[in-house]
Amino acid sequence: MAASTGPSQPSFSRLRELTPDSDRIQELSDAGTDSEFEDIATVPQYELDNIAYFDRMRPIIVDDLKTETSEVQDETLNVILPFLEGNPNEFPLNEFGLPHLQRVKHARYLDDALGSYSEHYVALDAARPWVLYWSLQALTALGEGIGAFQTRVVNTFVPCQHPDGGYGGGHGQLPHLAPTYAAILSLAIAGGAAAYESINRRSLWHYLGRMKQPDGGFTMAPGGEEDIRGAYCAMVCLSLLNLPLELPADAPARSCGMTNFLDQLGDWISRCQNWEGGISATPGNEAHGAYAFCGLGCLSIMGPPKETLNRYLDVPRLIRWLSYRQCTPEGGYNGRTNKLVDGCYSHWVGSCWALVEAANGTGIWNRTALARYILSAAQAKTGGLIDKPGKRADAYHTCYNLAGLSAVQYNHVFDEDMKGSVGVGELAAPYHWWVAGLYEEGKIWVEEDMVDEIHPVFIMPYDAVSACRKYFEDKEGF
Amino acid sequence: MPRFYHDDPAWSDVTPIPQLESGQVLAGISYTAEYSEAMSYLRAVMAANEYSTRVLDLTEHIISLNPAHYTVWLYRAQTLSALNRNLREEIKWLNPTALKHLKNYQIWHHRQTIIDRLGSCDGEQEFVEQMLEKDAKNYHVWSYRQWVVRRFGLFGDEGERKWCEGMMERDVRNNSVWNHRFFVVFGGLKGEVEEGLLKRELEYAQDAVRKAPQNECPWNYIRGVLRQAKKPMSTVKEFAKEFADLEKPDEVRSTHALDLLADIYEEEKKNDEAKTALDLLANKYDPIRAKYWEYRARSLDSAAVEA
Ligand SMILES: [Zn+2]
Repeated sequence: MAASTGPSQPSFSRLRELTPDSDRIQELSDAGTDSEFEDIATVPQYELDNIAYFDRMRPIIVDDLKTETSEVQDETLNVILPFLEGNPNEFPLNEFGLPHLQRVKHARYLDDALGSYSEHYVALDAARPWVLYWSLQALTALGEGIGAFQTRVVNTFVPCQHPDGGYGGGHGQLPHLAPTYAAILSLAIAGGAAAYESINRRSLWHYLGRMKQPDGGFTMAPGGEEDIRGAYCAMVCLSLLNLPLELPADAPARSCGMTNFLDQLGDWISRCQNWEGGISATPGNEAHGAYAFCGLGCLSIMGPPKETLNRYLDVPRLIRWLSYRQCTPEGGYNGRTNKLVDGCYSHWVGSCWALVEAANGTGIWNRTALARYILSAAQAKTGGLIDKPGKRADAYHTCYNLAGLSAVQYNHVFDEDMKGSVGVGELAAPYHWWVAGLYEEGKIWVEEDMVDEIHPVFIMPYDAVSACRKYFEDKEGF
Repeated sequence: MPRFYHDDPAWSDVTPIPQLESGQVLAGISYTAEYSEAMSYLRAVMAANEYSTRVLDLTEHIISLNPAHYTVWLYRAQTLSALNRNLREEIKWLNPTALKHLKNYQIWHHRQTIIDRLGSCDGEQEFVEQMLEKDAKNYHVWSYRQWVVRRFGLFGDEGERKWCEGMMERDVRNNSVWNHRFFVVFGGLKGEVEEGLLKRELEYAQDAVRKAPQNECPWNYIRGVLRQAKKPMSTVKEFAKEFADLEKPDEVRSTHALDLLADIYEEEKKNDEAKTALDLLANKYDPIRAKYWEYRARSLDSAAVEA
């Protein structure tokens, strides 16, 4: 999924020009026997190891038929492979021969992303809440304190809040569930009473009530589209802010006999699981990684994943589809069948696994291969993370590559019996997660390459999740 | 040429609402004077619930400066409706805008709102085709096409299915086309899948497999069709064996055939054969998913224990 913001990205032909090393492997393998020895001798050992690994991962079966899909895939792999095997960015390498996580560069990139933008970025005008969320979340993943931003986070969102409830992209913009979600998460990450109290929960609850549809799903805006993002964003807001599950009296869905936000929601999500086994934006559309995460996230808020996922989804078919999203030999994920690998799916697909494993048993996915893709191919030379080599960094891909890396590095456990100080009342399931430890098997990263733990349902720091919910559990009324 | 409103007599009755300042903020944008003023006038007309021809002009202006602005699109749709405008004119205006901004989400939702009100999809299929020429897998375009099928009752429509076949000839690996075919063929189906339909769909997918056996789409389609028809996967056992025979483990022509065979053997309670297929996938043909294939093998064991 491409970020909805930012300048347009270079085409593949341009991308090839930008990547001087794309023909290197070809040269290596085409070289005659005489020069071969010489060439190999100049290739460092780590690179030979990587080349051997990717040779093993390369699909053995390749069809002769060429179509647009196979041609773009071949071109793309030619661009990516040098980054997976060698080190064209000249990053310092860890003991496994992979680039270290460029923490300092990424943090600097994110600080810039929170700074001011020139007039050329006017396309961001409706997406500023997202820029804040992606940047703040990514900074916390890197272990950076964000206390210095706290007041400015609150300042930024005050004018975005609509008098009728919910948040728009900026002052005077209509409320929309995407910026509302980004705003609530940003404010929760910033934390503190000023941030929490800046949210008008009563009007937000009414707004969410207006988004509830007679078929069980949610629209994104008044008169806007209905899709599975709406369902997830609405559940996130209701749960984190501890809002009543009962529909407000003025919710139009009441005229169809609905009384509760959850009415027919699970069934609506069920209808989004399509013939492929994956999950689509609305019933009937193509299965897509980002919508899969939204669907699983929504179900994991509605109840314990073991119950809700198994009740509303055919989990084995879903697992099959998710597994197939991992591109070979690249190791990163694509979002749909026969599409290209893209760093943002490190999260959209990668983060599905913790939720799925809580429902169905662990050890199903190849974490190491994903980590390889993120560290080797998804770090921009000058900081920030990317879709794939040749693309520009943006806050979106930075946030979601780091979230994917975190999903790789930690084991999350859902514990129904967990007794904490938080997680009583409605939609309390997501407060029953904890980190059971580090993932160690076949790991190819070191301490320096670790990101922080991220809550698998909300994609923000664990402590920010529980602090926010606790604040509103302790609060009487709105 | 920038356009301004403050010295325009047609707008002299409106007091613009400037963007609220709220102290130091993050990710602020230095707007051009033109955009900033246009937005101030938009805030003012929206606050007054004004729906008028000049509002349409204003929204068109802002869209030209920033097409990724959902508020402007939504308010434009409301205005069109309030003014009872000629919606055909709106579509005519919309077409070049859509072609210019392929990835734009809002344009498609706007189009859907307008076509829904018009109650006719004349010309829509052609327009979608034009968009797909440029970007054959665009999710929003395909979702829109699916909406058209649902809204205008094109389920089971032969023309729509034939059109899919044309798209498929261009690129048999385009999964969006496979999804659309499934949607058109089965989306409106009530009750059983008739034998003739089942046969037609299986044969279509099997022909596609023969063109490129390692293409994931038609194999998934076969699974989807069988599931829809409540038929066992063993229905296609002989077909799968054409591409993967456990007796000839070095001559496998499709990992997807192996995957399907593993399921078929599981169905037939032949767990050893299923394991052989899964082993081949994990250790030879598809090692990146080794953990998944191993999980599938473990599931066989636990199913055997339960039985
Ligand atoms: Zn992406």
